[in-house]
Amino acid sequence: MTPDRALRPAPAAPRPLALPHFERHALPNGLRIEHAERPGLPEVSLHLVLECGAGAEPPRLGGLGELTARLLTAGTPGRDAIQMARWLDRLGVGYRATAGYAVGAVSMHFLSELFEEALEFLAATILDSEFPEHEVERIRRERIDEIERQADDPATVAGLATIAELYGDGLYGRAAAGTEATVSAIGTETVREFHAERYRPGGALLIACGDLDRERLLAAAEARFGAWSGETAPVSPPETPEARANGLILIDRPGSAQSEIRVATVGVPHNTEDHHAIIVANAILGGLFNSRINLNLREDKGWTYGARSSFRFRRGAGPFIARTAVETGRTGPAFEEILREIEGMRTAPVTDDEMKLARNALTLSLPLQFETAVQICGKVSRQRVFGLPDDYWETYRSRIEAVTPEEVREVCRTYLDPDRLTLLAVGDAATAAPTLDGLGPVDVRPAS
Amino acid sequence: MRFDILEHTLDNGLRVVLQPDTSAPLVAVHVMYHVGSKNERAGRTGFAHLFEHLLFQGSEHVPREHHFKLVQDAGGTLNGTTWFDRTNYFETLPANELDLGLWLESDRMGFFKPGITQEKLDNQREVVKNERRQAYENRPYGLAFETLLARAYDEGHPYRHPTIGYMPDIDAARLEDVHEFFDLHYGPNNATLVLVGDFDPAAALERVEAWFGEIPARPVAPRPDVPVPARGGERRALLRDRVQMPRVYLMYHSPCYADPDFEAVVILNYLLADGNSSRFEKTLVYEKQMAADATSFTWPTESAGMCFAVATARPGVAAADLETEVRDVIDDLLRDGVEEEEIEGARNRARRGLLNGRAGFGDRADAIAHAAVLRGDAAYINDAFTRYGAVARADVERVAREVLDPSGLTVLHVVPEEETS
Repeated sequence: MTPDRALRPAPAAPRPLALPHFERHALPNGLRIEHAERPGLPEVSLHLVLECGAGAEPPRLGGLGELTARLLTAGTPGRDAIQMARWLDRLGVGYRATAGYAVGAVSMHFLSELFEEALEFLAATILDSEFPEHEVERIRRERIDEIERQADDPATVAGLATIAELYGDGLYGRAAAGTEATVSAIGTETVREFHAERYRPGGALLIACGDLDRERLLAAAEARFGAWSGETAPVSPPETPEARANGLILIDRPGSAQSEIRVATVGVPHNTEDHHAIIVANAILGGLFNSRINLNLREDKGWTYGARSSFRFRRGAGPFIARTAVETGRTGPAFEEILREIEGMRTAPVTDDEMKLARNALTLSLPLQFETAVQICGKVSRQRVFGLPDDYWETYRSRIEAVTPEEVREVCRTYLDPDRLTLLAVGDAATAAPTLDGLGPVDVRPAS
Repeated sequence: MRFDILEHTLDNGLRVVLQPDTSAPLVAVHVMYHVGSKNERAGRTGFAHLFEHLLFQGSEHVPREHHFKLVQDAGGTLNGTTWFDRTNYFETLPANELDLGLWLESDRMGFFKPGITQEKLDNQREVVKNERRQAYENRPYGLAFETLLARAYDEGHPYRHPTIGYMPDIDAARLEDVHEFFDLHYGPNNATLVLVGDFDPAAALERVEAWFGEIPARPVAPRPDVPVPARGGERRALLRDRVQMPRVYLMYHSPCYADPDFEAVVILNYLLADGNSSRFEKTLVYEKQMAADATSFTWPTESAGMCFAVATARPGVAAADLETEVRDVIDDLLRDGVEEEEIEGARNRARRGLLNGRAGFGDRADAIAHAAVLRGDAAYINDAFTRYGAVARADVERVAREVLDPSGLTVLHVVPEEETS
């Protein structure tokens, strides 16, 4: 039978998606454990989430959380850094420890047959790390080098300058991993104290997903983490700053092949009443390939490889950022088009066609968002860290579908105030500046 | 761990590989064409990639901007990529939208030409030029591989130019080139369709036949000869870039993806530079603190393999000194061999990497398509796990001697604009 090519083929009956169910357990010391068994591939994804992010640091020691996380494999009483590395590398476990603004996390991925030994390794890094002076010194220098090298990449420069402009000295105004000045000020004792205070079972969460049953998980968790003790308070979100008045900043990078462009403002925390309307609004404005910003700048004008926008949802009010990179001569026009698209979201209701696309893209993609053990661990981790309702994903579809075009316009009017948008470009000022006429006074700055 | 693989070839030559898996209500649809940047002619570098962009611009029955829109509207994801040897197009969809994926892929395979216009070509040409600016020219070290390939391969070698292409060549592309390229390379008998996910194999094959069966086979252009370059001595290149730290690239001619020694080279890469106890990390980053980072990897090309070692200098370390240190580590390995524990760890890391790269249906379809097209063996998806596990110390030591041979080495130093090497 030759099918009819003239029309999009009708979908078959949808197959149900079983969202993963996480069983909750706790050890007597307060360590919370969440577990979803997924037979199938012989793999396990594991997250240990701790209240040890940048929000727990003194601002003058920004990056302490990240530095401490990086030092977890730098030595225990029985093993130095090289021996720890040989242990991990022999197992072949995927391991990453990092700190964000609120929490820090160790994430691991390994063959399920290695679960017990992987957990033994994790426990050694969390409970027994000694933070030898020379290792702290070494990792601190590596971090400072990394921070210096960020200046090589115009996209990174644009991102860091944008958040600094929005949040000033506030927590979200700097990279969670710190700056050269703050990382330089961190000493060994500070790291040890931070670890002693923040790496505690009360307030910590162990998430496991994969080919692993409850008995194995709980037996090993009790054996390895049972003797751990203490409690840590959650990291509070920062105060939301007043969104600043309009500014236009051009960071000069002579000879740049393009301008990296950002249009940004202070956004909202993850947990807000109008959360779902914001998600729909952003999908239409700049979240999807067929969003207004991307269709305009890429598929209509051809000025860029891509343009998009996002609200960064955190415990506190993360930024809204629209971003693109355009040929230098289009710097001003690209700003104008992005501003026009934002204004369009505020003044006229979005179309039914746009609403349908956003709704479907957001809700019908749930099976893709919960496909692998690694993805599922990440999802549940975010849900707990940001204090989302337990039925967040179960109700996600109905709440997205309930959003109206009026609500979309309303959140754009509330959160995307044209008088409070920061415009920033990193590019060749000699070529870019003349294209900015009509956008207001330009603050031209040299690249650092 | 074994994935069920079912293979079938349609009368028009389209190779079909089915990998049913009911663990998620999804289906990955992946079409790989056996054409890439190596098929481009002089003056038209970047064309295979520009062409890939055009295949997202609609076809006879799919209006412009609808390809992305329909997939996202169904809750799917999609993309396409171009490489030396192949170009692929893929989407992962809810399982009940299998027909949507097959319709979109068969329409651009069988009914592309009526949809293409000069306007679409001009628009995507600008998009691609901006991709080159954003992802290569305006990125630190972004032109390193292009510089390295141009030095390692002689004029006329099919791997000599970058997939993104050179700017004047992107400008030179014409509508006639688009039609010609399609005719030469995009017939069903030059393509492999892979489905991974929640479907009944017999029913899925019936749908594939329905959508693709009517597309006629076409003569396939002869594939270019891709010779392994002679090892005529070391070659060197220098690139000045807007970076603070020098970076050193070593590129060796190496077994290609289908070579029986491919897995041993990958294990060698793992023990050289994956993990803090690896040779490069331990010596260059940890002990001597001369490198900020160090990696080693092999590109799984169809012919003429490429094995790389790349290290970025710490402040105050010159490229020449870093190169000496990297080569010392390699010489130590060649002289003293490797330890059993290193091999065991490298095997375990490689196997975990394979597992991680096959967990998602889209990634798995990609791995199957590569195995089917570049090795002619879809079942390699399963065998790879065993083969990596079977790499022995003697294998690694032998391939290390064969591959890490200075007579086949090309060295690139990327240095800050104001410095000398």
